[in-house]
Amino acid sequence: MSFHKIFLIAKLTWITALKSRATLILTLVLGIALFAATYIGWQNFKTQNDQRTKYKALVREKWLAKPDKHPHRMAHYGYLAFRPKHELSFFDFGIESFAGVSIFLEAHKQNTVNFSESSFSNGIIRFGEMSIAMILQVLVPLLIFFLGYKSISAERENGTLKILFCQGVKWSELLLGKIVGIISVSFVLFIPVICITILLWAMLSNWQVSTDAAQRLIFLLTGYALYFIICSCLAVLVSAWHRTSRGALTVLVVLWIIFIVILPKATQSLGTQLYPSPSKIEFNAAIEKELSKQGDSHNPNDPHYEQFKKDILKKYKVDSTSQLSVNYGGLVMAEGERISAQIYQQHQNRLVQTYIKQNSFTRAAAFLNPYLAIKNLSMALTGADYANYLDFQNQTEKFRYDLAQKMNALQIEHISNVKQGENDKPYTISHKYWSELPDFKYQFKTINWVLKNEVYSVVALMVWFTLLMTLLFTITKKLKTL
Amino acid sequence: MYLLAFKIFLRNKATYWSIALLLVTGIASIHIGKKFVEKQTHMIEKTAQIQKDHIKKHVGFFNKEMGLLMYYLRFSVVNQPPMLSAIAIGQRDINPAVTGVTIRNLNEQIYDTDLNNPSSLLLGNLDLNFVFIYLFPLIIIVFCYNIVSEEREKGIWGLTKIQSKSVMQVIWMQFSIRMLVIYGVAILLIAFAAIYLPLPVNKPLVASIILLFAYLLFWFAIAFLIVSFGKTSNYNTITLLTVWITLNIIGPAFLNLWVTNKYNMPEALETVIHQREGYHEKWDIEKQVTMNKFYAHYPQFKAYVLPKKEFSWLWYYAMQQMGDDDAQQSADQMLQKTIKREQFTQRASLFMPSLYAQLQLNEFAQSDLNNHLHYLQSVKKYHEKLRLDFYPLIFGEKPVNSINWNAFEMKRFTETSSIGLTQTVLPLLLYTFLFGILGLFFMKKTLFKL
Repeated sequence: MSFHKIFLIAKLTWITALKSRATLILTLVLGIALFAATYIGWQNFKTQNDQRTKYKALVREKWLAKPDKHPHRMAHYGYLAFRPKHELSFFDFGIESFAGVSIFLEAHKQNTVNFSESSFSNGIIRFGEMSIAMILQVLVPLLIFFLGYKSISAERENGTLKILFCQGVKWSELLLGKIVGIISVSFVLFIPVICITILLWAMLSNWQVSTDAAQRLIFLLTGYALYFIICSCLAVLVSAWHRTSRGALTVLVVLWIIFIVILPKATQSLGTQLYPSPSKIEFNAAIEKELSKQGDSHNPNDPHYEQFKKDILKKYKVDSTSQLSVNYGGLVMAEGERISAQIYQQHQNRLVQTYIKQNSFTRAAAFLNPYLAIKNLSMALTGADYANYLDFQNQTEKFRYDLAQKMNALQIEHISNVKQGENDKPYTISHKYWSELPDFKYQFKTINWVLKNEVYSVVALMVWFTLLMTLLFTITKKLKTL
Repeated sequence: MYLLAFKIFLRNKATYWSIALLLVTGIASIHIGKKFVEKQTHMIEKTAQIQKDHIKKHVGFFNKEMGLLMYYLRFSVVNQPPMLSAIAIGQRDINPAVTGVTIRNLNEQIYDTDLNNPSSLLLGNLDLNFVFIYLFPLIIIVFCYNIVSEEREKGIWGLTKIQSKSVMQVIWMQFSIRMLVIYGVAILLIAFAAIYLPLPVNKPLVASIILLFAYLLFWFAIAFLIVSFGKTSNYNTITLLTVWITLNIIGPAFLNLWVTNKYNMPEALETVIHQREGYHEKWDIEKQVTMNKFYAHYPQFKAYVLPKKEFSWLWYYAMQQMGDDDAQQSADQMLQKTIKREQFTQRASLFMPSLYAQLQLNEFAQSDLNNHLHYLQSVKKYHEKLRLDFYPLIFGEKPVNSINWNAFEMKRFTETSSIGLTQTVLPLLLYTFLFGILGLFFMKKTLFKL
């Protein structure tokens, strides 16, 4: 195989592609779209994240400013957590707009994450969101297909294919050359995007780049490069396989429609049909039912709390709860919180498992559909996928639990165990204790965690790449020059 | 001749596959829609039972104080999806169909979402609406991209031309064959939906069908326009697909980004903060301050004065009320902004037929944002009614068994908006007309001379 020949063919492809007015217009349009998407996407990211940061600070400030109170009042006052966006999420919105933003964390109760962007939308959002990722995933492949459908078939139609072979060009050289040429045209779009992304991202992180984010970006860009190579290979192979350009174009367009328009919705619908998930009201009813089985702290004759009381009395070596040196109500609440959080977590885990099963079809379909492979990988790397959202929910639940138990502990330790009359001022503790609860700070997971979640997507991309490369060198025997 | 052309068209493998694709996805989508509505209906019926049990259990348990009981009692308002929403799921998967509220601070409860898998929301539902808005135009493109151009590429255009009275007739014949097939499939799918779901024959259904037909016609007009340029099949394919992408992906996606940026919603987070502070800070301030504010809001309850106890339910519910009163402004702003957003998108959609058709169909099927906003308003109203009914009972310390609890059944919200049929299809017909005329104009310039 001669690299010189491959290079020559690539160069020729590049020149003819850029000479064509249609390509130039399409490239230009996509370029402008990319630029606009980057700019607006970045602005959007900034406003939203600034808002969330602002209100987050306000929540902390108000928490610390609360006066002396009964700790259980603070447990009900609770905390508000806002989901921060990952610094790379301006690149890919992922599930961002469909996932809630704010969650109220209080004692006894797990709330939903509310105010997703899509809940303010009248349906326009269902047409897709303009982001760099969307253009790269959806539109660039189409451009590649438009560039590539003629690559071999036109040579065949013009009869130049024979001439090329007479000049000593091998099939593999021709195919590789065409692919390299088309890839390089698509990189005309891609490379500026890379540069702008790196620049914006560096700006967002105040020029203090973490290794984790840098690694994420490198993987992201490699992923997209691989995706474009896969698309280019597909285009050239289809073009080589088909006798006419028209046939090649039709096949490529149909592939694009199946990959991007039909398959993702179809696989996800299949998942949701096969693994139905409960609605909130059913979910809560199930938890409530189990909770009343496990023990009801409101019920004085409940067997669980009866036993609990006995154990406490034994532990503190007293005869009745009124003789306790610690606050008995606090102990009961801590026990109640422990039980209810545990039951909730079991149900929540089951729900999450159902969701993961629902998503598994779309994930597995990455092996049939490179678009889904890059889509999942890209969302994960930009911190905008379901796993990341789930991680946010887990971290907030942990914080909620710690908050409630911290306040229970304060009550147990510092609130008198003596019952009050209805005219007594309620017991309070110093507001100094409030600062003992650290602020909620969402920690993004590291890239290793992300990649472990996305093994499927990475492997799927590799498989596609290897498969097409093998095809490239084996198919040549079956191709016709006429 | 017509029959012959029809046979030739049908014998094409691409035609076969296309029709099969439409039918398979169409039928699957109707099934998916049916399942969706069934699931929601089932959930709603369950809610009715859960509410009954819930009230019975709590009334039995907290039977001493009306105030304490009402802290717990939850009343549900449901937004029953009409059968038509099975073919246009719209925003119904995002917005909750069941909202349960206690008479406490409403702003803390009303924005709670249902449990959702965000990945499914992102990829969206494969409903019949999607098949019509996305796939039908693509198949129209597949059917029409080679009209005239293929005959030319095969070198038989001249032959075809002299065999018929006029060029116009040839082209019209080609288009009418394709329209026959497309509309045939469309009618088949709608008929299937009407029987399988089943759909009641009413104004929204008729409006949806007329709108869908107009939408398909619009795409034929676009195909006609592109064909009239008299270019190659490849040119037609690429151009038509580009138009499709612009109308179905890029245009709406940019509009969405624009709208999100222009009307971003800090008011949402503000409302949460205000309602929480508005209530909780009242624990730490002079009781009478809260009471004065409460009496200003509800002068009719002035007769109930604070008892000389540290805690009273009158004070408690007055504090809860303050959560709503303090968040009122930002909640109103949030609502206003959402309405503005909706109106802006509606206006902008006049320039994007696909978006326009989608939004209209959602409206007919009551699965649009407006329906949800109306529903939220009805929850608000019901919540206020509950408050006005129960406040005197709580403040007057009436015994729990003094009222008939069986009367408190789950409440159903019903949409009362009307449909204006002519103004709905008018924009689509206008575009169709415009492209048709333009197509004729170009055809005179190009095709007749070929």
